[in-house]
Amino acid sequence: MESSVISWPLIVWLLPIAGAVAIWACGPLLRRFAGPLACAVIGAAFVGTLALWPAVAAQPAGVHVTMFTWAPGITVGLLVDRLSFIWLTIITGVGFLIHVYAIGYMEGDRAEARFFAYLNFFIFAMLTLVMADNFVFLLVGWGLVGLASFWLIGFWIERPIAVEAARKAFVMNVVGDVGIMLAIFALFATFGSLSYADVFAKAAQGPGPVMTLIALGLLAGACAKSAQLPLHTWLPDAMEGPTPVSALIHAATMVTAGVYLVARCWPIYQHAPGAMETVGVIGALTALAGAVLGVVQWDIKRILAYSTMSQIGYMIMGVGVGAYSAGVLHFYTHAFFKACLFLASGVIIHNLAGEQDVRKMGGLAKRMPVAFWSMLAATCAIIGVPLFSGWVSKDAVVYQTLAHGHPVLWLLGVAAAALTAYYMSRMMWVTFAGSFRGDEHGAHAHGHVPAWVMGLPVALLGAGSVVIGWLNWPHEGFAEFLAPIFGGTDVAPAAAWGGEFLSTQIPLFIALIVGAGIAYLQYGTAGALAQAPARLEREAAAQPAFLVKLYYWNELLDALFVTPARALAALCARIIDPKLIDAVLVRDVATDAGVLGLLFRRWQSGLVRTYALTLLCGAAAIIVYIAVVR
Amino acid sequence: MADSLLWVVLLPIVLGFAMFALPKAGDGIARGTGIVVSAAELLLVALQYGRVGHQVSYPWFTDSPWTAAFHFGSSQIALLFCAMLALITLAAAIVTNVQRERDFMAQMLLLEGTMMGLFLARDLLVFALFWDAMLVPVFIMLVNWGEGTAAAWRFLIYNGTAGLGLLLATAAYGILAGTTDVIGAAHAQSLAAGAAWWIFVGFAFSYAVKTPLFPFHTWMPDTYTASPAPLAAVISSVQSKSGIFGFLVIGFGLFPQEMHRWAPLLSLLGLIAMIYGALVAMWHDDAKRVLAYSSLSHLGLLFLGILSFNQLAIVGVLVYAVAHGLFNAVMFLVVGYVEQREETRAISRLGGLGINNPKLGGAMMVGSMALLGLPGLAGFAGELLILIGVWGSGQHWYAAIALIPIVLAAVYMLRVLLKVVWGPEVQDLPVRPDLAWWEIVAVAPLAAALLLFGLWPNLAAPAAHDVVNVAASVAAAAPATVSEASH
Repeated sequence: MESSVISWPLIVWLLPIAGAVAIWACGPLLRRFAGPLACAVIGAAFVGTLALWPAVAAQPAGVHVTMFTWAPGITVGLLVDRLSFIWLTIITGVGFLIHVYAIGYMEGDRAEARFFAYLNFFIFAMLTLVMADNFVFLLVGWGLVGLASFWLIGFWIERPIAVEAARKAFVMNVVGDVGIMLAIFALFATFGSLSYADVFAKAAQGPGPVMTLIALGLLAGACAKSAQLPLHTWLPDAMEGPTPVSALIHAATMVTAGVYLVARCWPIYQHAPGAMETVGVIGALTALAGAVLGVVQWDIKRILAYSTMSQIGYMIMGVGVGAYSAGVLHFYTHAFFKACLFLASGVIIHNLAGEQDVRKMGGLAKRMPVAFWSMLAATCAIIGVPLFSGWVSKDAVVYQTLAHGHPVLWLLGVAAAALTAYYMSRMMWVTFAGSFRGDEHGAHAHGHVPAWVMGLPVALLGAGSVVIGWLNWPHEGFAEFLAPIFGGTDVAPAAAWGGEFLSTQIPLFIALIVGAGIAYLQYGTAGALAQAPARLEREAAAQPAFLVKLYYWNELLDALFVTPARALAALCARIIDPKLIDAVLVRDVATDAGVLGLLFRRWQSGLVRTYALTLLCGAAAIIVYIAVVR
Repeated sequence: MADSLLWVVLLPIVLGFAMFALPKAGDGIARGTGIVVSAAELLLVALQYGRVGHQVSYPWFTDSPWTAAFHFGSSQIALLFCAMLALITLAAAIVTNVQRERDFMAQMLLLEGTMMGLFLARDLLVFALFWDAMLVPVFIMLVNWGEGTAAAWRFLIYNGTAGLGLLLATAAYGILAGTTDVIGAAHAQSLAAGAAWWIFVGFAFSYAVKTPLFPFHTWMPDTYTASPAPLAAVISSVQSKSGIFGFLVIGFGLFPQEMHRWAPLLSLLGLIAMIYGALVAMWHDDAKRVLAYSSLSHLGLLFLGILSFNQLAIVGVLVYAVAHGLFNAVMFLVVGYVEQREETRAISRLGGLGINNPKLGGAMMVGSMALLGLPGLAGFAGELLILIGVWGSGQHWYAAIALIPIVLAAVYMLRVLLKVVWGPEVQDLPVRPDLAWWEIVAVAPLAAALLLFGLWPNLAAPAAHDVVNVAASVAAAAPATVSEASH
């Protein structure tokens, strides 16, 4: 449906940037009202999103706004179809809850207003990413969410560790951006257009190798943004940002952009030989690799960060095998339970005056009941307790791998599910059970922001973690809703062996019991809890270095790219430039010319400044003469 | 009196000389005059948009040895560069803070006027005249306000040599073609292929030095480093574009076949410049030197775009030329702010300025993000359009390799930004006030223009129409008979 220029999509899109600019410009005046204003803006954007619902539901092709000609042959506009609508509800809806929470979390920070300006700017950037109707604005949104993420990871600019984390996130994401740029070159050369409509309509005619190149270029962008192997190392470090940022950007929305990208570009992937398999394998390996690292972490936010990496691996695996709506469903439920987990961990961190090490927690269930019950609901969701939201979506993804004929990916998915059950249960018992192991004096003095400001969003997201998967009932509601987007291609060709119950639900349930059971025996029994401090220390000392060092992945990337680039830079700057080019090519030639010049030296007085001024005066005099006299 | 187009050239030159009549001591008056004049100049350039295509011409040589005229004309492409020059000169004038301000401001105006003359010239001889004339104010400023005279001499000798090449090529062109009044002419005389190639080499050499292109760049870091910030902002942003302008207007206009013949070498040098400049920029500790080598890298991209003979790439080249001018000006001015406050521009010495000087940090953030090609700003739009064109012209490997310096740009620019603005404060550095309002006013319009061209690069499309023979030069290259037949 073509929409007029002033329209809902435009308003929803521009509201957050207006809020960001207003808060940024009037920050000192607004003071404590910056947060409420930012919330109001995002709340309004959420209402605007809901107002788009009738049009989106009625129009399978979505609401389309053509904006302007960006460059010759490249027109940009906004598109809200069912896929972008799904993302919009999370970005503005969950985004709104996290904004409210942040009023409490960031209270009293030196740069509170700047924080909310950044947060609103992030929402704008994310909306640009999912509302673009073309690859140029997709990339603009892609880059701007990276900028917002960079600003917010490094929000506390005086902390060197935060600065390094921000740098890493930015550079790795630029690597992804240039992957998308490469895809854009090939797209424009092949299809003569960069709009989704034109490209997807003709995708079937694209030559196979070119389509694979495009798909892999896009995948590079997806891997960087969604922290998939081999570009995943920035995400755990990004936990240096304030916790609301971790929940909003590094769990619920931005890091799922890769899932959006593959789902959006499914016609390209369908016609790109080998690309789908690559996506699926990367997703499955990341799901497992992230879960393994989650097992050895002690920092509560890092446990959640590796779990995010792992869960996005499931989503990427889902869209990679062609089960697009299953991948999108897992994004949807994950946004709720992971945002809940992060915000609840934020409540703990906030109340323990910045403590993030679970070894120094313990016994928090009674002290912080809202955080505990919400986190428990979200944990049940992520580990796949039947009927909870995560159970619905993870089950769908894992089953679809089998139904699309990838038993190895199925196995990786089940293994990662067992590990997820283990490390999440471990985190829960160590954090909430037993007795408090931390420093009692660190208790946080509360300001004037009421407790519900942080508690209510956590509780709502906790409730969402329980029920939101039911949207998919009674009968594959998500796949039906998204059918106009994916054209029915994501329905498995035939039921897999034994049907969903036998082939997936039973194995996943066994994985859950095994994982959570081992965690219980290790951390949850009365005996284990009684001697917790000593046990945890012993366990930390015994962890294998290969895992503690994160597979030596940072060291590997350094050795492959950073060190050679530095050496090359030093070679060029210290030897080639001064000793070769400047000395041999320039100065020697100048010396030779100087010898020749001796012959002519008698002509010159040597005062070049005089010559030069004479020349300029002469030129000016001629022009003035012509201009004035003639 | 004379035509307002002519006054675009004359106003800064005449008033620049007139500044010497002001009292020597009155720095405030001098700066105020400089700001008013450069603001008037910006207005005057803006007025020219009302009558694009307007020309004024006065005969110079009438027949012997060839015909030449003081011929100026406004075109979209010329006005684009003139507007950028006027905006950046105004910004530089606002923040000028040097000894003997009267003399400095006078030289800045002379520099502006001579460069206006260059962009508006329609005669090769006039172009060459202004080409050499614009070296003079730079040289004088380098000697009087720069860090050591060695860099000044280096600049003059290197660029003077290039200017000599241009002058000789112009004279040869005039003698062979009978006239030099040919810039932007619809049916310019083509030269016989035998002479065209070496005349083109003369032009191309001078353009390549001025831009500069690898390996003719070694004068440039010394010059930019030695220049006071306002001068560095103007020459790195705008004077570097005179070579690019030469290739676009004179190269394509008069030597399309030669452009094509030399394209493999020139675009290879451009690609080398991109990577080499980025690598060297990663190493240096002097913030200005980092900027100088980043310029080498970015200007290489312009060569890649020009020599792809692709219309979309030409739009990209114009967007990127403007973007590079704007973000370079912002960065040189901001580094000037830093140096004025902290008395050093060594990256390793600085740190944490954003904590006490958030506005300064914000200005550097904007400049750095534009420079490293943040999507949404003009640098990104230019890069993307250029490389789409390069890929579209079949140079797939060039377009792919040209993505590496984009990643490196993020590395070296964040190295500067994060060390200087973020991180813990350095204890023994002086704590100085944040940016004053005029320091913000100077860079804000440049930032706004970066955003405008980033969101809407199509603004440069009309100027791209002035670059003729882009596609034709490819078509004409195979049968080299076109020029033979017409001569």
